[in-house]
Amino acid sequence: MLTAFARAFRTPDLRKKLLFVLAIIGLFRLGSVVPSPGVSYTAIQSCLNQSKDSSVYGLVNLFSGGALLQLSVFALGIMPYITSSIIIQLLIVVIPRLERLKEEGQSGQAKLTQYTRYLTIALAILQSTGIVALARGVPSRLFPQCNQAILPSTSLFRVATLVVTMTAGTAVIMWLGELITDRGIGNGMSVLIFTSIASRLPSEGGRILQSTSGFVFALVCLLGLVIVTAVVYVEQAQRRIPVQYAKRMVGRRMYGGTSTYIPLKVNQAGVIPVIFASSLLYLPNLLSQMWTSNQGFTNFVSRNLTKGDHPLYLVSYFLLIIFFTYFYVAITFNPVEVSDNMKKYGGFVPGFRPGRQTAEYLDFILSRITLPGALFLGLIAVLPNALLSLTGGNQFPFGGTTVLILVGVGLETVKQIESQLMLRNYEGFLR
Amino acid sequence: MTVALSIILIMTSVLLVVLILLHRGKGGGLSNLFGGGVSSSLGGSSVVEKNLDRLTIGAGLVWAACIVALGLLLKK
Repeated sequence: MLTAFARAFRTPDLRKKLLFVLAIIGLFRLGSVVPSPGVSYTAIQSCLNQSKDSSVYGLVNLFSGGALLQLSVFALGIMPYITSSIIIQLLIVVIPRLERLKEEGQSGQAKLTQYTRYLTIALAILQSTGIVALARGVPSRLFPQCNQAILPSTSLFRVATLVVTMTAGTAVIMWLGELITDRGIGNGMSVLIFTSIASRLPSEGGRILQSTSGFVFALVCLLGLVIVTAVVYVEQAQRRIPVQYAKRMVGRRMYGGTSTYIPLKVNQAGVIPVIFASSLLYLPNLLSQMWTSNQGFTNFVSRNLTKGDHPLYLVSYFLLIIFFTYFYVAITFNPVEVSDNMKKYGGFVPGFRPGRQTAEYLDFILSRITLPGALFLGLIAVLPNALLSLTGGNQFPFGGTTVLILVGVGLETVKQIESQLMLRNYEGFLR
Repeated sequence: MTVALSIILIMTSVLLVVLILLHRGKGGGLSNLFGGGVSSSLGGSSVVEKNLDRLTIGAGLVWAACIVALGLLLKK
């Protein structure tokens, strides 16, 4: 295991990529702790200490690595980017023009990405305005129990500076994520989410250890280990559909004649559904911030949809995860396309005719095999929260969502490193 | 002093946002995962992209310096 790491760092181009990712992560963390200009750092720290159980913005705060409640430069984190990609992806299904763009291939895809980025900036402006508005006033609504002024001066000019800075911070995060995808290793967005969540773990663990007994802490750790094992187990599971290729002559060479398989993973979607579902559940919260005049709506949202242990939250979370799993699989794996490609190169699944019948077969298998995957994702994300709320403590950060994201992103990235390593060596991390 | 710095900060912020949006989004986000396929850049980045990178980094540095300076001034 360790020799594999050493080898990864000895490979020059891989080392460059790894160091690049580490440098970007360092920048990202640095920006998450630098307070925005005009925010009183000392007031925020004392407020954070006073309101220990500030889980109203728990998940969002977690996704931004604790930067949100500190009102740092990167307060909004990667959240606006995720939200805008979800919105664009959902709109593709609804709006025909976008659908045509998607089918256009490379250039259309680039245009869609560009739309996502514009929308990110728009969302960033909205959210930063919202969070700054929440931080105004002396018992600010961000920290209701704390009566210190977070923003010493609330003149329009100061507030505007704050909003613009945070928006630019979000744009920079977006760029950092793209740089990781482009020149580093792994998917930038998930690596950044991974960083924020991982940075919260030590302090949250310490808090659990302080507020409860050592026994509970050990139990939570044990639960985490069990979840990690289960996630790795399911993540690697796949069904192999045999494919036979016919022999064919091209010029003087002989091609094909081999038998391979199409791997269909039980959890084809990875961690994306979890990220999507949790950030979609945050949307009502955001709306209630914007739309404070409607008191009934605000109360309903803050009562039912912000705490991780409320039944309504849990149920809608579960259902959303299942929906997004199917949605994502349907977008990424197109049985008709796969079977057409196979037909083109003279491949067939033994026992099924090429073309329509193969496509139907693949579709049948895929929709069946995704069900346990979706149920598993939903259960892992929801169960620990439900269990913990039964025992009284609301240890949100050690819930299933975080572990799922950590393990999923970790596995994905290690696999990418491994495939790079494979270019030079045979043995990798995963035996 | 603080007013001048704030104005510079606002200007660099806007500039930074515009510069970042000018970048060809190289499928950094989830849209790349969404059936974007393998979109390996063809033959590295062009001269325009390279200059854009340099400009963005420069604007980012000024932006960061402004934030730190303004933060220190306002803290007192």
